[in-house]
Amino acid sequence: MSASLALDALTKTFDGADHAAVDAVSFSVAPGECLAILGPSGSGKSTVLRSIAGLDVPSSGRILVDGADVAGLAPERRGMAMVFQRPLLFPHLSVLDNVAFAATVAGQPRREARADATQFLELVQLAGFGSRPVTALSGGQEQRVALARALAARPRVLLLDEPFSALDPELRSDMHALLAAIRAQVAPTVVMVTHDRDEAAIVADRVALLKRGRLLQHDAVERLYTRPVSLDVSRLMGGRIELAGVVRDGAHVSAIGRVAAPEGETWAEGSGVLVVRQEAIQVAAAGASAPEGFVAVDVVVADRRARGPRAELALAISGAGSVVEAATDQATDALADASPAAELVAEVPASRPLAIGERATALIPRSACTVVAG
Amino acid sequence: MLPTPGPGAAIARARPRASVARDRWVALASVAPALLIAGLVVVGGIGMSAAQSVGLVPLVGEAAFTLDAYVANGDELLTGLALSLGIATASTALSCVIGLAAAIIITQGRVTGRVVAALSALTIPIPHLVGAASVGLLIADSGLIPRVLGIAPTAWPDLVGGPWWVAVVLEYTWKESAFVALVVAGVLATRVARYDETAALLGASRARRLRHVVIPLATPAVIVSAIIIFVYTLGSYEVAWLLGRPYPEPLPVLAFRLFTSITLTSRPEAAAVAVATTLVSLLAVAIGMALLRRTPLWK
Repeated sequence: MSASLALDALTKTFDGADHAAVDAVSFSVAPGECLAILGPSGSGKSTVLRSIAGLDVPSSGRILVDGADVAGLAPERRGMAMVFQRPLLFPHLSVLDNVAFAATVAGQPRREARADATQFLELVQLAGFGSRPVTALSGGQEQRVALARALAARPRVLLLDEPFSALDPELRSDMHALLAAIRAQVAPTVVMVTHDRDEAAIVADRVALLKRGRLLQHDAVERLYTRPVSLDVSRLMGGRIELAGVVRDGAHVSAIGRVAAPEGETWAEGSGVLVVRQEAIQVAAAGASAPEGFVAVDVVVADRRARGPRAELALAISGAGSVVEAATDQATDALADASPAAELVAEVPASRPLAIGERATALIPRSACTVVAG
Repeated sequence: MLPTPGPGAAIARARPRASVARDRWVALASVAPALLIAGLVVVGGIGMSAAQSVGLVPLVGEAAFTLDAYVANGDELLTGLALSLGIATASTALSCVIGLAAAIIITQGRVTGRVVAALSALTIPIPHLVGAASVGLLIADSGLIPRVLGIAPTAWPDLVGGPWWVAVVLEYTWKESAFVALVVAGVLATRVARYDETAALLGASRARRLRHVVIPLATPAVIVSAIIIFVYTLGSYEVAWLLGRPYPEPLPVLAFRLFTSITLTSRPEAAAVAVATTLVSLLAVAIGMALLRRTPLWK
């Protein structure tokens, strides 16, 4: 039920299109791993999934399952199952017969097929629902049955095309927990398409981030947040802080001053944008000194926006001018270009009384900083 | 962020019940003229035929209840009934099988599918009378096809006016299979593609998908089409009259001959045949609807 999957320069251009929907995308998924293909609408993520399934024929490139190229294999012979955004349960079959579908079409006797399907209904916590018509299920139950039906086919790779995006937040959380439990029990290789980075972070081991058909980064979830390889990646992962500057002698100089690269990392010399997650910024009282490994920046609260239990603060950097004076001409130009973004963003508990105009100190952990090309 | 109801929602909630009830009456009043005319024709027509068939509306003489009209042509009525049922059953079965196959080809979306869809769409507006005349000109023993094939009329089977009513069934099948194809393709096109993909990804071959997914999904539309075709071919007059043999007569041909007879007493007999045809049609509709209700999709 767990196979390795590899894409080698997969490209798909639809008839009459100016540019490729998927442009030379390569990545690999280990047996039992869960990969999320993440990207905005139109990024080509569903096309990648449909190509893997055999529903779309790639223009070029290879799809390897356990090292064997599956080009030319019909979808029904690839050993993959897919769960779509809509459950697409067969309306003329009962819940049990839906789950038993793969065994039935494989020629298994009906009794055996149903007995096998019962196990998978139990796996998705729907024991006893077998005799119901599919119209008697709620949205979450329908998607559970769809998942059970796909798992009962014992796919070599389980493909999930935004399967939980139509569910309400509570049901989605339940489905995420269910998927985790299934992974713990049967360890299928999973490729899931989603446009929700939180979902990708919860469900997946690794993420392939796509934009306009191109693979921007394929990495562990945590690294996509903390070590984006480009500004695009940082922005797509919700990064809000971008500080233009220059790397000189292993340290980045920008509106917040000089930030040395974290231990074990080196930044390329020259112009670069320092990015750091807003969740990593701590806001201390004005005048607080920086602990070891942190950079302290004097700021003024420029804006405050409610975000439920958290508040998002826009922090204007005070004393940026002196830093600019100390920097090189190159840095000065870079800072001038970046002037509208020369502020920090931080998230604090909503209960914290930091009002607009109040002075504070932003503490930036060096380990959370990275520099990408501008 | 929680969605905030717009002004439209507030207005919708605030709509009084009286306003909704008034809208219903307006809607009912709008369709009432059409309903009245259709009701008058259907109910009035059947009522008049029934009354005439039992002697309550005689052309001459006193009105008196009698079942003589039903007995007068008893043998012809039974033979005609069997013949009409045979023609309708064969035409319906062939139309459904060919139409379903055509619908499946249409929904594949390839060039062949587009050609079949175009042919089906072209067939629909051609009247049955024109179709019947064309079939006669093509497959009669002196028709175009035997001539093109160089087959002598004596060696050509009796397709037109023969004992098996082949030309009649063929004409109905040609026209009605196009109807089934378009109706079923319309249903399949909206739902079958995603189910077909899902089934393929669950390992179902093309043949298995056809058997386990496509045909079950098409069944309700096929049953509804079959009801319409059966009732139409049971009651249709001109094709059987033009391409069939003079005797025995199917029910509608018998009814029309009696209706246009110069014998005034034949009029109630014609009405009796029409009423019998109507009853069989209603029975067919009832059986069809019962079958439809038994399909899992209908449930």
